[in-house]
Amino acid sequence: MNPILVLGAGPAGLSAAAELASLGAPTLLVEKESYLGGNPTRWHYSLLAPDLRPAEEILGPLIQRVEHNPKIELHTGSLIARAEPEGKGYRVSLQSKDTVQTREVSAVILATGFDHFDSRRKFEYGYGHFPDVLDFKELEGMIHDDKVLRPSDGKPPRRIAWILCVGSRDIQIGNPWCCRMGCVVSIKQAVEIRQKHPEIDAYIYYMDVRTYGLWEDLYWKSMQEYGVKFIRGRIGAVSLTEGGKRLIATGEDTILSRPTEVPFDLIVLASGMEPGTGTKEASELFHVPVGPEGFLTPKLSDMNTIDSGLPGIYFAGAATGPKAIPDAITEGMGAALRAFQYARE
Amino acid sequence: MPIVEKSLVRVKRTEKLELDGIDVSGDWNTFLESRVQTDLDVGIVDWVRSQPQGDTIDRCWQCGTCTAGCCMHTDYGLEEFNPRYFIYLAQIGYEEELRRYAQTIWRCVSCNKCVERCPKGVKVEEVVHTIGTYLEASGRAPESPADRFDRAYTENLLDRGILDEAGLFRTYERLEGRKTPVRELLRMGTSLLLSGRLHTGPLAHRTKGWRRMRPVLKGLLDEDLRQRRESAQATRPVGRREP
Ligand code: SF4
Ligand code: SF4
Repeated sequence: MNPILVLGAGPAGLSAAAELASLGAPTLLVEKESYLGGNPTRWHYSLLAPDLRPAEEILGPLIQRVEHNPKIELHTGSLIARAEPEGKGYRVSLQSKDTVQTREVSAVILATGFDHFDSRRKFEYGYGHFPDVLDFKELEGMIHDDKVLRPSDGKPPRRIAWILCVGSRDIQIGNPWCCRMGCVVSIKQAVEIRQKHPEIDAYIYYMDVRTYGLWEDLYWKSMQEYGVKFIRGRIGAVSLTEGGKRLIATGEDTILSRPTEVPFDLIVLASGMEPGTGTKEASELFHVPVGPEGFLTPKLSDMNTIDSGLPGIYFAGAATGPKAIPDAITEGMGAALRAFQYARE
Repeated sequence: MPIVEKSLVRVKRTEKLELDGIDVSGDWNTFLESRVQTDLDVGIVDWVRSQPQGDTIDRCWQCGTCTAGCCMHTDYGLEEFNPRYFIYLAQIGYEEELRRYAQTIWRCVSCNKCVERCPKGVKVEEVVHTIGTYLEASGRAPESPADRFDRAYTENLLDRGILDEAGLFRTYERLEGRKTPVRELLRMGTSLLLSGRLHTGPLAHRTKGWRRMRPVLKGLLDEDLRQRRESAQATRPVGRREP
């Protein structure tokens, strides 16, 4: 059997590769970055929602199953430059640092993932301009190292605000979809901070709180056990106080029906999920249709998000839309099975 | 600028204001006070939570189920009595807005419908009362005629252990600086006399053993008030502008 190509080594791709190997299928795992684990590794995710287990505890074992696995040929820092149908499968050219090799693969799993929204595009929040406006992926790393400090003066913050839906549900920047993660991750961050530093006050500015399904529990706990406060309204702009030391979030409290200009020491932006650059490239390489949002379109979205409807091509993870880590890992398992069935037929 | 929304106009009362030597004190109802909220005072919710009756305040997520069934709000129709809103103001710490309801908040009739219905298990009735207590004890709400009446009532009752209606009336009139016309006084006096309640002044009744009870009760009440005042006044908002 020709190897099965897994493109992307985030949670979904790692999971697909590990399952393929355990089915005994030769696997070609290609990752454009130099590390394994995708966005969670890149941004040093701290604890995962909802059970607050360290990200390493979830991804570590997956990475171990993939690394040094005789069934898995691993290429980091590599990409697929070209792909053409060849028999039942594809012929691809695999481009590594300074080598290009042509390989034949029997099936393809696209696990190319997402990119965090570039918060600089939401310029009214001053990200990239005011040092104390953070993207929540950066806060993840700070929480992970227990160094939640204001970048401007290195002092611990007294009061933090989270702004939800940054780069999501926003037609101005062209992203009308919901990122699914922003609410739960922000709430989780607030809980983590309040757990360690109850002296820091945490406020979350929301339009809706979408901690869907069983995550609701974390939302309730955040209020009842950690005193996280929720203010309804979307912040319109961030500016500096007169002395320039603190930030001011200008918005409307829609419950109060009044404008608010409240000072904060740190403002954290819950940046949304966009189709990853790898996802765009993959759609072009393998002629996979994308929806208006730019994510790969499954054959029947109402049925499953794995089958592409194209011969030998399967999807896993956030390449088809915003997704939580456990969902991505589960899809990796499903895609492995589908690709294996196809390749063996 | 024409003012179209009447509810936004908050009368500004100036006790003493002079402009170029001309006295312009009084009510200025075309001055709009800034409606911008510039701070969040965690002190309020921290205090409410610390009270045995207020510890479910953090649960509220503003669904409005309580207000929807509230006797005062819906059945009686007192629109400004809105338990959900009081909780939000306390939770987020909008003290200035909350102070406007310092009197209204006591209109709750304790039917407890809200407590039965709240999907989050907020003991709404208790929380609302705790917020009212906060406003009173922190001394941040302006004293109203109702507050003065309460005070006169308690003192009157403490005096002899039994209410002296006519005495209470006199005290209250003095506190409010009011003068009731003689004819009205006579009418009230007659009906008090006929119903046997004109035991006032030296004729007033007295509860048996009150001389010994009184200091104990007074001590307890004073101590309770002192404690509540102290803890409620200790909460201070975090300032908006840095030094
Ligand atoms: S019913 Fe409960 S949760 Fe809903 S607004 Fe009232 S107190 Fe809050
Ligand atoms: S107990 Fe008070 S707040 Fe609750 S429904 Fe009855 S009147 Fe309204």
